[in-house]
Amino acid sequence: MKKLWNFLRSMRFGVILLLLIALCSVAGSIIPQQREVAYYAENYTQFHPTILALQLDNIFESWYFIVLLALLCLNLTLCSILRGISLMKDHRFVQRAGLLPDAKKLTPSGVEKLRAHLTEDLHCKPVQTGESTVYTKRLFGRYGTFLTHLAILLTVIFGALALYLPTLTDDTCMPGESIRMADGTDIHVDSFRIENDAGDLDFSSEITVTLPDGRKSDLQRIRVNYPMHFGPYKIYQQTYGTAGSITATNLETGVAEDFPLTESVFLTLDGVSGLWYDTLYPGYVQDDDGNITLINNVVGSYEDPIYQVQMAENGEYISMLAFPGDDLEVGGMRFHFNDPIDYPGLRIKHTPTVVNALLLAAFLLMTLGLYITFFLQPVLVKVDDEGYAVGGPKPEGMRLSLEALLESDELTPKEVPHK
Amino acid sequence: MNTLMNVLFFGAIVLYFIGAVLQFVGSSFKKPGLTKAAWIVFLAGFAAHTVYLIVRGVVAHRLPLANQFEFATAFAWGVALIMIILNARFHADWIAVAAMPAAFLILSYAALQPREITELMPALKSAWFGFHIGSAAISYSCFILAGAAGLRWLLLARRESPDSRKLHQMDYMAYRLIAVGFLLLTVTILTGAIWAEQAWSAFWTWDPKEVWALITWIIYAVYLHLRLRQKRSGKVMAWFAIIAVPVVLFTFVGVNTLMPGLHSYG
Ligand code: HEM
Repeated sequence: MKKLWNFLRSMRFGVILLLLIALCSVAGSIIPQQREVAYYAENYTQFHPTILALQLDNIFESWYFIVLLALLCLNLTLCSILRGISLMKDHRFVQRAGLLPDAKKLTPSGVEKLRAHLTEDLHCKPVQTGESTVYTKRLFGRYGTFLTHLAILLTVIFGALALYLPTLTDDTCMPGESIRMADGTDIHVDSFRIENDAGDLDFSSEITVTLPDGRKSDLQRIRVNYPMHFGPYKIYQQTYGTAGSITATNLETGVAEDFPLTESVFLTLDGVSGLWYDTLYPGYVQDDDGNITLINNVVGSYEDPIYQVQMAENGEYISMLAFPGDDLEVGGMRFHFNDPIDYPGLRIKHTPTVVNALLLAAFLLMTLGLYITFFLQPVLVKVDDEGYAVGGPKPEGMRLSLEALLESDELTPKEVPHK
Repeated sequence: MNTLMNVLFFGAIVLYFIGAVLQFVGSSFKKPGLTKAAWIVFLAGFAAHTVYLIVRGVVAHRLPLANQFEFATAFAWGVALIMIILNARFHADWIAVAAMPAAFLILSYAALQPREITELMPALKSAWFGFHIGSAAISYSCFILAGAAGLRWLLLARRESPDSRKLHQMDYMAYRLIAVGFLLLTVTILTGAIWAEQAWSAFWTWDPKEVWALITWIIYAVYLHLRLRQKRSGKVMAWFAIIAVPVVLFTFVGVNTLMPGLHSYG
């Protein structure tokens, strides 16, 4: 039992876990993840049952990957966090450094040089411990690794929450209209543009959010990399589209209605005669003979939009092309072809804000922890009349620099005077 | 302007090459005159390289870090810069024999990439761009130099006793480089996560580039832990620093060129 406990809290177990996580990650990067079963059957013919059985198709959500992460959290807690707490309770580490045997013996002038270096160049604080002096500096640096590991633990925990708690909704919305969320929140798209005033691509929407409790955001422009954050919602400029727009007027009543059109639709009064809207093309090229070739795909605004429609009259259909500004009368209605409407596709993320904040705090702590660990290591140098020793958790750098400094003042074992 | 930029870029490659050759011959045959000349030539190459990056940044109106060519160029610049700093501050001229060829090879790899200046795509227009990619370039540079230090360790260990101060210094230098690289790789991954959340709504999507950055991070975390052992061997640490280099290179080049291939050709 004791053995198991010691293993669970050992650094060796931590390293093994890290290597296993790395191994799973390699597999997860080589085998495309979360595809249809048919994909694996086709591409990994005889291996595909193994891939599916071992959950290699979705390894990062497999039970064993989650167990590895959970074990890493356990190991980090037992090994590093508990160690860190006992480190904080240890107030005798300076005294202990004072008891270190001399690692190097020095000439008396070497000792003087060392003391002067430690106080004047390195600005260390001398602490008298028995017959020796311990020169100390940046003692808080001892907590660097503790902070690092604590931050890693928090990052895994809050990271998992930040990945799995939010709900995502992808939706499109015509300018002037709103998306209504299940909790009653209203996301109103005031406007959308593909290009800015200078003509550069700038997919951006202006939106306002009204929460169920009535709180309303200011009008904000969102674009790629600059989402809007209001209440528990974060709204991203995700994609965009261009819709046809037709105004249909009932010739008898004079009532007119606008139709934004994103898919094929039949506009009719009696279900027989009317206008079939097929699609909207971004542009066309016309050759010398007047023949038109339609362009299917463009990035950005539609330069020369052209409508493809069918006029339906008493069961007969006539295909035709129409330009913005054109009018067509059929089935008791007048159809006016407007300029197309660009509209945004938004991604709406509902997320507990506090989890994001905690995760960001963990990120900051990790960076700070590593900085302290590597660059603000404590200095603990014990000096007595005959020599010195370097203590502390990471003595190596100081040891090498002092050895270089005191090379000519070192005494070989033979030269050390016997007392 | 194009001609000037080409002269600077290819000038830097040629000077790095000459520097590396002089350094190799100079240190193999113990000719201090040659190694000194190697440094002078290399520094001239570095000056051309630096001016090239500045001019490119000015012409493009942005940091020159936006595609594989620019990243590789910055990466090679990072290797050269850190090597120069190590020499100036710690007299670690011993690293040059392995590091000068590294700078040359990385810059040559850049030369194989398309060089035209492209507009920054909207997804890259972010305040995180410089932090994320800049820290990645310097972090990879540190890892490459740690590998170079490991290589020098192994070469020297054939002649010197394991207790030699020089070997300790090389081992410690490799460790410090990995420590700095590790901190910067952490910054790269964390800023990448923050940026991904700003751009695509999720901090982490397990895409191959992210996954390989994580693998690299884990490999160096293992190095840092192995080094804490009481009875560590300098040889094992040197080999580790060398063997980790292909992982870094794979994260940098391999993922971009091979992983999409795997996705599309299955
Ligand atoms: C996610 C993975 C981990 C990372 C990135 C990490 C990072 C680090 C770093 C950077 C150091 C300082 C090394 C140095 O200063 O040379 C360190 C030290 C240490 N780590 Fe970890 N670590 C991780 C996981 C673990 C685990 C799981 C354990 C527990 C078993 C552990 C135990 C230790 C110990 C005992 C030290 C020495 C502390 C000291 O000298 O003050 N680490 N770790």
